[in-house]
Amino acid sequence: MRTAPDPLGARDAFMLVARANALGAWRRLGSIGGRSRLTAVAGAAFVAGYGLIAYAIFHLGLRFVMRFPGLGSLLVERLLFLLFAFLMVLLLLSNVVIAYSNLFRNREASFLASLPVPVEAVFTWKVLEGTLLASWAFVFLVAPLLVAYGVVQGVPWHFYPFAFVLVSLFAVIPGTLGAATALAVARHLDRKAFQVGSLVVVGFLAAAVVRGWRTEEITDEQLEARALAVVDRLLSNTRAAQSPFLPSQWLSASIQGWGEGALRTAAFYGMVLAAHSLLLGRLACSYLAHALPGAASAVHGRASVLGRWSWFQRRQAGRRAMAGTWAIGGAPIPGGARPSVPGDPMDTALAWMGLRPETRAIITKDARMFWRDTTQWGQTVLLFGLLAGYIINLRHFSRQLDSAFWVSMVSYLNLGACALNLATLTTRFVFPQFSLEGRRVWLVGLAPMGLARAVRIQFWTASWTTLLLTLALTVLSGAILRLGPARILYFMAAMTVMTFTLNAIASGLGVLHPNLREAQPAKIVSGFGGTLCLVLSFVYIIASVVVLAMGSPWGWRDDAPSSAAAAAAWLAFVLLSALAGWLPLRMAFLKAAQPGITEAR
Amino acid sequence: MIELDDVTKRFGDVRAVDGITLTVRPGEFFCVLGPNAAGKTTTIKMIAGLIRPDSGRVRVAGFDLVKDPMPARARLAYVPDFPFLYEKLTPWEFLRFTGQLFGMSREAIHAAAASLVPRFQLAEWLHKPIDSLSHGTRQRVAIASALLHDPAVFVIDEPMVGLDPHHARVVKDILRERVDAGMTVFLSTHQTSVAEEMADRVGIIHRGRLVASGTPADLHRQAGTHGALEAAFLAITEGQQLAGPQTLPGGHP
Repeated sequence: MRTAPDPLGARDAFMLVARANALGAWRRLGSIGGRSRLTAVAGAAFVAGYGLIAYAIFHLGLRFVMRFPGLGSLLVERLLFLLFAFLMVLLLLSNVVIAYSNLFRNREASFLASLPVPVEAVFTWKVLEGTLLASWAFVFLVAPLLVAYGVVQGVPWHFYPFAFVLVSLFAVIPGTLGAATALAVARHLDRKAFQVGSLVVVGFLAAAVVRGWRTEEITDEQLEARALAVVDRLLSNTRAAQSPFLPSQWLSASIQGWGEGALRTAAFYGMVLAAHSLLLGRLACSYLAHALPGAASAVHGRASVLGRWSWFQRRQAGRRAMAGTWAIGGAPIPGGARPSVPGDPMDTALAWMGLRPETRAIITKDARMFWRDTTQWGQTVLLFGLLAGYIINLRHFSRQLDSAFWVSMVSYLNLGACALNLATLTTRFVFPQFSLEGRRVWLVGLAPMGLARAVRIQFWTASWTTLLLTLALTVLSGAILRLGPARILYFMAAMTVMTFTLNAIASGLGVLHPNLREAQPAKIVSGFGGTLCLVLSFVYIIASVVVLAMGSPWGWRDDAPSSAAAAAAWLAFVLLSALAGWLPLRMAFLKAAQPGITEAR
Repeated sequence: MIELDDVTKRFGDVRAVDGITLTVRPGEFFCVLGPNAAGKTTTIKMIAGLIRPDSGRVRVAGFDLVKDPMPARARLAYVPDFPFLYEKLTPWEFLRFTGQLFGMSREAIHAAAASLVPRFQLAEWLHKPIDSLSHGTRQRVAIASALLHDPAVFVIDEPMVGLDPHHARVVKDILRERVDAGMTVFLSTHQTSVAEEMADRVGIIHRGRLVASGTPADLHRQAGTHGALEAAFLAITEGQQLAGPQTLPGGHP
């Protein structure tokens, strides 16, 4: 028998894989600058601009709260506990989704699994990679807040590196727990007991949220005469965020302790956090890692997760029976009857709308691919669900929304929030649509309708579909703010223009900056084109909302608005939209019509 | 060598691999043929240790893939139909990376690369990013990196896809040389001409079962055909429903 060199230890193998990936990431970063210096600078400016604006807002907010007589510090403290608690839940969810795709739907993981690389090295690397992917947004969000907190509190310089270490340690906990959950899901998803158990747990959590989610009715009299009692209720209702069993509490307590000079408290909670992070990290490198091969094998050897349910088995049997009748190879049916063609409800519905067959084919394909990718519609529901929750909760501020100024302010903020939500959606789902065709892009491109028409169909489909969502939210927002019909129509018109523009930006840039090699939408979006799309969308939204608000036909206070200013603002808004949306879309159509597009990068 | 002992793998209620028993000896070139969805790739993934069998046992170079995977993988090279490469590395960096993962010394990597790079005509591309290479060049990089550690067992899925006739010839020649030097090759392909030309023994997998294995002449004898191997393959897979694996004269189950 041939001798083989001694296999590498887990640490050496991990370092090798990490180095290869780091080198790749570094070169990817360098290639962004090399491709277009202008757009790279625009991206960097956006990041810097975000940091500054976020810092300014957090700074203003913290200073405002700190001014509350006697209770400012307490309120800031509670706000931080709450923020970190919510972020921890979001981080955990994000880590579960990313860990699952990173461990079981990832080609590098399969590649490494076939090599003599210790499973500990593979698992540790993939968990670390997933944690970094899931946590960068958390750091991006929290960094300006911590700087603002530090400035408001007047902390010493060593607060900042200490906070960075704590945040890094904290990210390990949801990262490891997310990976453990992903392993459990992968290993046991096809077990009926696991499915039922998961549903019961989700139902229990939903019931707990519904039960615990109480709205406090606060009257003007209470606000003016009994402010302390109101604050007391507020603090009492949010005490759960300070539970000593929450890792977010350890993080928050340690950061605040350091900021306030209570170094012993900070060190204590810091050590609690470090101990748990190190323990979980150690478990990830050893015990959890050994579950990876079995879980990966289960995922790759799995048929439908519903296969254990009798209703699903009956449905599959029915489908097989239908396929069986086709297996006769088109033999003539006795009596000369033509075999009946099974109908497709979606196609039939689209045909009733008068759409042509190729249009129906593209829409049906995209809708099915979207529906069958649960992460996609899950994220859509989450994004718009959160916004709907926010808008619905506005009714509790009805007393504060009697002033014309605040009604105008909130209505324009809602317009901006809805558009920002839509921009996230279009960047996440519409932008990668063209790239997702991947190497199969020729299939559509060589069809008689041509690629340019396919891009047009995808643009219109995405625009009309998202318009239903955005208009519904706009009407809801208008109704809750008790705006008149004319004002609601005004915002609906603005939202319609913005919806088409944002879809045009995403569709256009998706064709202009495709990534035909990547199969995962999240990775396509995280590239240069996706970042540019998000930046352009945000800039367009901010500019539009500012322009519209400046020329609001209803004025800001009780002064008479100028109709000329309103008309000029609306004209500027339409021109801005036409420029921002039409230009990339037009360039995309031209590029799609060119021969050789299928050979794009 | 490769040993499959009554290996079964189910996907839900579908038996993707159904009781395959097969031994591929050291220094043997074994080609597996089969229609689409016959179970070839599943079998290969079990040999590569990516999927665990529901029952039965898979051994590579004498090591059980489930119980003792590391020594088995150290002696194995696996090239899937769409091999994974780090896009932003260069072929040289990728070769060095895989060599290091197999525990090779720097000198050993240099020596092996010095022989493989000219054979695969990779010198021109050696320091260019992999994402700028054509499909065929990437395939050559993947095969060269898999051969770098001089594996005892080489498992490859559809190796000729994307290769021009010249480079296909190079790959065939290198694999034949390695087999003559004692390497075991397990190759899956749809090209019956490749199997006919290269294989010491050909296996046909159909509906998860090894329905025939032997030399091309053995397969012709079983199918009652002559001429190109394609005729025997079509006759065996289309013409009849075979009850189970059959061992032909000269074959080794």
